[in-house]
Amino acid sequence: MEYTQKNDDALVDMIDIHKYFGSVQVLRGIDFHVDRGEIVGLLGDNGAGKSTLIKVLTGYHSLTRGQIYFDGEAVRIYSPHDARELGIETVHQDLALVPLMSIARNFWLGQEPTYEVGPFKFLDKKMMASESIRALADVGIHIRDSEETVGNMSGGERQSVAIGRAVYFGKKLLILDEPTSALSVGETQKVLDYTIAAKEKGMSVIFITHNIRHVYEVADRFTIIERGHKLGDFYKSEVSENEVADMIVTGQIPERLRLYDEENGDVA
Amino acid sequence: MMQAYLDGKREASYIGNLVTLLILGFAVLGFCIAYGVLFGWMPLGERANILRSDLNPYEYIVAVAGLIYGLGCARTAYGLMNREQASLRWSQWMYFVTVIIGGAILLSVVIPVGLKFALLLGQEKDLRALINDDIGGLAPIALAIGENLISISLLVAGLVALLSLLVFLIPPLERLRETDGVRWIVAPPAKFVRAILLVFFVGVIGIIIAGTFVVPLYPGYTTIRDVETHRIAAGLLFLLPGLFGYMQARQVEEQSDELRRALALTPGKFIRAELAKSPSAGAIIGFIAIFMGFTMATDLFLEPSSVASFLSNVATKGVIAIGVTYLMISGEFDLSVGSILGVTALSFMQFLTIGAPVFGVMEPIPAALLAIFVAFILGAINGILLISTRIPSFIVTLGTMLAFRAITLVAIAGGRILRYSDHHEALPVIGISNIVFLVLAVIGLAVVAFTAYRVLPVLYRATIQAWSVRENSGDFGTSSALARAVALAVTLLILLAIVVWLAAVLAYHGSASGGQIVEVGYFDLFNGRVLAIGSEGDFFHMQIPRSANVRLAIVWWFIFVVIFHVILTSTSFGNSIFATGGNEGAARAQGVNVDRVKMQNFVIVALLTGIAAIYEVSRNPGVDPRKGTGLELEVIAMTVIGGALLSGGYGSVVGSLLGALIFGMLQTGLVLVGIESRVFAGTIGVIIIVAVILNTLVRGAQRN
Repeated sequence: MEYTQKNDDALVDMIDIHKYFGSVQVLRGIDFHVDRGEIVGLLGDNGAGKSTLIKVLTGYHSLTRGQIYFDGEAVRIYSPHDARELGIETVHQDLALVPLMSIARNFWLGQEPTYEVGPFKFLDKKMMASESIRALADVGIHIRDSEETVGNMSGGERQSVAIGRAVYFGKKLLILDEPTSALSVGETQKVLDYTIAAKEKGMSVIFITHNIRHVYEVADRFTIIERGHKLGDFYKSEVSENEVADMIVTGQIPERLRLYDEENGDVA
Repeated sequence: MMQAYLDGKREASYIGNLVTLLILGFAVLGFCIAYGVLFGWMPLGERANILRSDLNPYEYIVAVAGLIYGLGCARTAYGLMNREQASLRWSQWMYFVTVIIGGAILLSVVIPVGLKFALLLGQEKDLRALINDDIGGLAPIALAIGENLISISLLVAGLVALLSLLVFLIPPLERLRETDGVRWIVAPPAKFVRAILLVFFVGVIGIIIAGTFVVPLYPGYTTIRDVETHRIAAGLLFLLPGLFGYMQARQVEEQSDELRRALALTPGKFIRAELAKSPSAGAIIGFIAIFMGFTMATDLFLEPSSVASFLSNVATKGVIAIGVTYLMISGEFDLSVGSILGVTALSFMQFLTIGAPVFGVMEPIPAALLAIFVAFILGAINGILLISTRIPSFIVTLGTMLAFRAITLVAIAGGRILRYSDHHEALPVIGISNIVFLVLAVIGLAVVAFTAYRVLPVLYRATIQAWSVRENSGDFGTSSALARAVALAVTLLILLAIVVWLAAVLAYHGSASGGQIVEVGYFDLFNGRVLAIGSEGDFFHMQIPRSANVRLAIVWWFIFVVIFHVILTSTSFGNSIFATGGNEGAARAQGVNVDRVKMQNFVIVALLTGIAAIYEVSRNPGVDPRKGTGLELEVIAMTVIGGALLSGGYGSVVGSLLGALIFGMLQTGLVLVGIESRVFAGTIGVIIIVAVILNTLVRGAQRN
């Protein structure tokens, strides 16, 4: 396919991504890119393939066909650990925190700070407690006690901690998978603030949602996916909130926008 | 009211003075207890029945506790007289402790009497036969009352058990009622609770009367003895005023928010909150209750020989329970440990007697290492099957349990019982140079020095700090400094004791009379009686009574508990174990290699089981192919009693230690108090359910 050229400016460039689960084609040749310091809203109805696309990028699923470029280099991502090494932090909808563990332990899970006594490495618990409180306060989340169990917190508080952790550890790319679906209006606003905080840190953000209202305010660009295909990329200056909402529901690009898309070679 | 007293209000002075006098009275009672126990006026435990002249350990503990309690009460009363703010909180605690002491004294009568009574009931099918005929002129009346009392008190006791089950299991009924647009929360009917308490007291008193007055509990003695009535009186003397004071002190009417908050955290709530922080709350409560119960019921329980025997019995199982706890926290399950133990034990014995395929007949230490390697392979098979097939671990290990058992039945030794003595004339012996012991002692001294270097300055600084801020503290100030000073002194004493012991070992082996080569039995080295080793070469230099069956496996077990506790709570591997069981997806998303963690845990279980197998064989050098059958469920029972969740993500190594101790105490204690050992399995079943309910209740309390 001649239009699948590598984009050198992009942080992430996923080209012609196919993913089959057995005989079910979930992704049928999607091109998706994220520029540096950009907030991309990845939109689509339930079952469109948003989460699968992201799970391919974060190493949860292996891709059937296609190529991923990260930071200008072709990469193969086999596990979430690989993705993390590259500088990708993800806040999953359902896989964020361990309810029976404390905030500090959740915060550092997978990359705990240690000190060495001879050949042995022990958790630096003091540093885990103080640094997690400080880091969460930096992105505007104030917790009372880092030893509190996550299971005792409300849904919004949990989501805050998960996002705060991702912003703290994230180096290049932050992925938020439906972060606002179970939150109140006030909590949603907070999540949007964290997103902007991440952008100010110089990170790119992918914000996945099926509800345009949650993301229109902060996103720079929208990518709409429809049944395994990409419908198109739209900058916020080009489209209105209602047009995007219509596209998600109908799966059709309005007349006004079609011409523009053909110029970019971005037809679905 | 008490606040008003502290503020010096005239109208509160009457009640305030009364309360001060009451607490002063508690102080006197506390000193009386210490005096009475020490001088034999108030014997406790079974001693009261045998009338021995020496004091048992339980009585020493009570005497010291009585002294401390008396001092605490005196200080509180002094604080009240001086109108010190902290005395309010302290008086709450003193009431609380008073209630506990009163309850304990009453229980020390009720438990042995109830036990003897139940045992007699179990032996005699005809209730009439139980009734004492030598009551004298009042015999006919007593007979009539007694006959009914037994049946009535049995009925009441059953009813009480049923009702208390209902009260504790069903959460308090809080209903919302709307009247005139105002919402009322209707608390659980207090009258109902009070009625149940009343029935409970009637039932308990009925049992005491039936037990002490009518039934000849102690053949050869009279039915009612002075010591027991004295103790009932003393118990009531503590319990009732303490309860009254505690109830009265709960009403917080003070103006200052800070003070109200401090006082709202009553001792009961405080202890519950502290317990809720630990995964093994149920096990802690159960351990204390069972330990107290057995010490009160029989003097034999705290004998060094009984303690050593129950510790020796559960040490090997306790070692396996550590691994099973790890596995359970990571969300998996191993039914095959019994079979792994069987295979390892038989392999070890086969290597020693008939010989291994390539190596022939082996020396004990290489044979042990090879046998543990066999266990490692079996654990790895479990792990690989689980990871590659994603079949639930229950099914996988059910399959391997049967398959591994087939190895012992068919492949190894052809299903015969292997005895070491059938193949060798004498048990294997090794000569160890005394330099080894010198080096070990020096290493031990180095470890002690390092611990002292790390711990003592911290404790010292904490004490100094508490002392320097004593004026600003909410408590009396000096008390927390004193507590820390005591902790410092105790730590220092323990370390000093170890240093003295190690120095003795050094002196013994350093001197020429220690001999150059010490002959030690191999099996004794693995899991011998500590004294058996000592009597050969005396390299441990420990003074333990010969009758005490103190096995080395106990020492290994405690060492393993410490090591694995530290790994679980203070390393990133431990953190990933919790995460794997708590939320596998989240762990994977954070880059934890979930499969590797599970694999490692299966291998850890198998290795610990292999080590346990070596202990078992060393203790009794003869193995039958069915060895370890049923072990897996016992170990899971210990782990669950210890507070680990079957669903994963929660639990502790210390919990598994407590679970194993409860298991062992019951096994030995039930026999010592004279209950048939056939009841043991049933008791364990009840304990499991009660412990899990307690754990859930305490954790629920934390959430609210």
